[in-house]
Amino acid sequence: MKTVYVGMSGGVDSSVSAALLKDAGYKVVGVYMKNWSKNLPGMKCPWAEDLADAKRVAVKLGIDFKVFDFENDYKQKVVDYMLDEYKKGNTPNPDIMCNQEIKFKLFAETAFEDGADFIATGHYAKTENGELLRAKDENKDQTYFLYRVTADVLKRTIFPVGDMLKPDVKKLATKYGLSNAYKKESMGVCFVGEANMKDFLNEFIDIKPGVIIELETGKKLGFHDGAILYTIGQRHGLNVGSGLPYYVAKKDIEKNIVYVSKNLNTDNLWVTEIPLKDIFLRKKPSSKNILVRLRHRAALLPAKFDGEKIIFEKPVKRIAAGQSVVFYEDEVCLGGGIITE
Amino acid sequence: MLYLDHAAATPTSKKALKAMEPYFADQFFNPSAPYISANHVRQDYEEAKDEIAHAIGAKGADLVMTSGATESINLAFNILEPDAEVLISAVEHKSVVEAAKKINCKTINVDKFGRVLIDDFKKKLSSKTQFVSVCLASGELGTIQPISEIAAIIKDEVLRRKLAGETTPLYFHCDASQGIGILEAKVGRLGVDLLTINSAKVYGPKGVGALYVGHNVKLKPMTVGGGQEMGLRSGTENVPGVIGFAAAIKDAEEHLNAERKRLEKLKTILKNELKDISGIMFLGNPKYQLANFVPISVPGVDAERIIFALENEEVYLSTGAACSASKGIKSATLTAIGLDDAAIAGSLRITMGKLNDEENIKKAGELIKSTITSEQSRN
Repeated sequence: MKTVYVGMSGGVDSSVSAALLKDAGYKVVGVYMKNWSKNLPGMKCPWAEDLADAKRVAVKLGIDFKVFDFENDYKQKVVDYMLDEYKKGNTPNPDIMCNQEIKFKLFAETAFEDGADFIATGHYAKTENGELLRAKDENKDQTYFLYRVTADVLKRTIFPVGDMLKPDVKKLATKYGLSNAYKKESMGVCFVGEANMKDFLNEFIDIKPGVIIELETGKKLGFHDGAILYTIGQRHGLNVGSGLPYYVAKKDIEKNIVYVSKNLNTDNLWVTEIPLKDIFLRKKPSSKNILVRLRHRAALLPAKFDGEKIIFEKPVKRIAAGQSVVFYEDEVCLGGGIITE
Repeated sequence: MLYLDHAAATPTSKKALKAMEPYFADQFFNPSAPYISANHVRQDYEEAKDEIAHAIGAKGADLVMTSGATESINLAFNILEPDAEVLISAVEHKSVVEAAKKINCKTINVDKFGRVLIDDFKKKLSSKTQFVSVCLASGELGTIQPISEIAAIIKDEVLRRKLAGETTPLYFHCDASQGIGILEAKVGRLGVDLLTINSAKVYGPKGVGALYVGHNVKLKPMTVGGGQEMGLRSGTENVPGVIGFAAAIKDAEEHLNAERKRLEKLKTILKNELKDISGIMFLGNPKYQLANFVPISVPGVDAERIIFALENEEVYLSTGAACSASKGIKSATLTAIGLDDAAIAGSLRITMGKLNDEENIKKAGELIKSTITSEQSRN
């Protein structure tokens, strides 16, 4: 009997994943990864409740359950990386880093050492022979977050819900009697989320206020909380009066200045080329013409990849440096890279 | 539902609910307001305090009403300067432990049943000790503490200091949150200066408690303002809460002996159901234990799994305090009685009460036994 360690968050996807694997005849061990437990002002970290939920599901399924404590590693490899990127003025994606460093590296290594033949997670993605493939549920596909996971680990990874539609997963949860046990969606970088990112950063970085300047006129329009908190293209959260909305068009991190514009067509907001760094190529594209995804759940766009940058025929809205562009050919995720200035 | 966690919370009794009801909307007046209707509320409130005080052999004026045991305990400890020497038992509730941590605190050891070792107490009691805090009964084991014995030793020390002309004060506080309503606890007989009681454990509403303050104790308020509760706890009085507490504790006092006998019988039935579980240990002192407590440990079993498995059968019980093996938090009480990690991880606290009768306790016993047995065979 093969042993599979399932990363369990207490959410429906990982809960059903564990149930499906048990039904398929695996010896299943549920694992809660304890990555973060600190409360922050206005943010109660729900780790203890999440752990209890995950364990509750494990008990319901009659499977073993373990807790892997990755708190120090998560802080170093994910949070510190995230903070460094923000300090540089970039907008990092901690979920991608978490998958690369924690879930599909540290968790995998720890599980294999502990006797696992495979690991599994509740991600919506498919894998074959180390390749990463888009999920059946196009709406839920999470390959954007997984493009940097190595083929070696994927060869020993199972995504039990990757071939399913979310509504069917929920039906299965009811069938397995888990509907009372599992909790609501578990999302992204732990409990922070976009809305709380500013508070989170404030806790760890000394953020200084600065001025907002109109790009075209050089006119001082007001003050901002700190340039690193703003993302190019951002429209909300600028206290610069009424009328047509302003967009963040440029940031000067060194001088702590945010430049804004009312002109949605300003060159700063649109690009035809996106230069990349830290490119992680899972598979060589068969031609220069590929499909790219600029953010999770965004539409696949046709583009050219020349080995260093992505080139579009028509301009696309600028994406903040630090975010990822992920490449596809048909169903196959080819890899991707991180947007640089 | 088979509820076996009465030490954590009790359902508010119908009597208490009924008594409280008028004071939410009809008799809503601020007891400090000058008109006659408000004066009536004041009278009802003071009568309720008298009733609560009566249950512990005190007068209404001896009580400071609080938001619960935790506040009472914090208020009691507030009498101390940060450098004061304090002794607490090794089986205290978190709120005592945390309050004592702020001060120069030593722990009195307990025996393997969780009962304070009088010799260790005598050894640690010094001429500098200003405060001693020991619970009436341990919240995890139900072990009843030798309160009057400790009080007698303290009284001797107080007299010795007086005769020697020493001015260091010495107070004895007892957290009676567990035990009230099951055990007779009169302040005179116990010999305490300060006593904490809690409504939520005696079928009263949550968010209400009291601190008995002996006449020799010069307490300092934590909350200042309008000067309510003799200036020791300002803030508009929780009239419905206190009325409900009074109704509940009065009811408990009236049925104290009958209820204790009933619970003892249920305990015998339950222990009989559980005794054949492989490896089971019954924790606490069989002689000095609250009638409603059946703490057990089955080493090798993960108690949290048992709790989650039993909740599917609508059987609700818990581990000792807010401790859990998987969260890496170990019970201080169970450590103090010398249990090893496996025994701590396998420990469950079953606490019975009004929601239990012979029939459902037997059923609960069967379900607990079968759940533990099936968990043991899974490994």
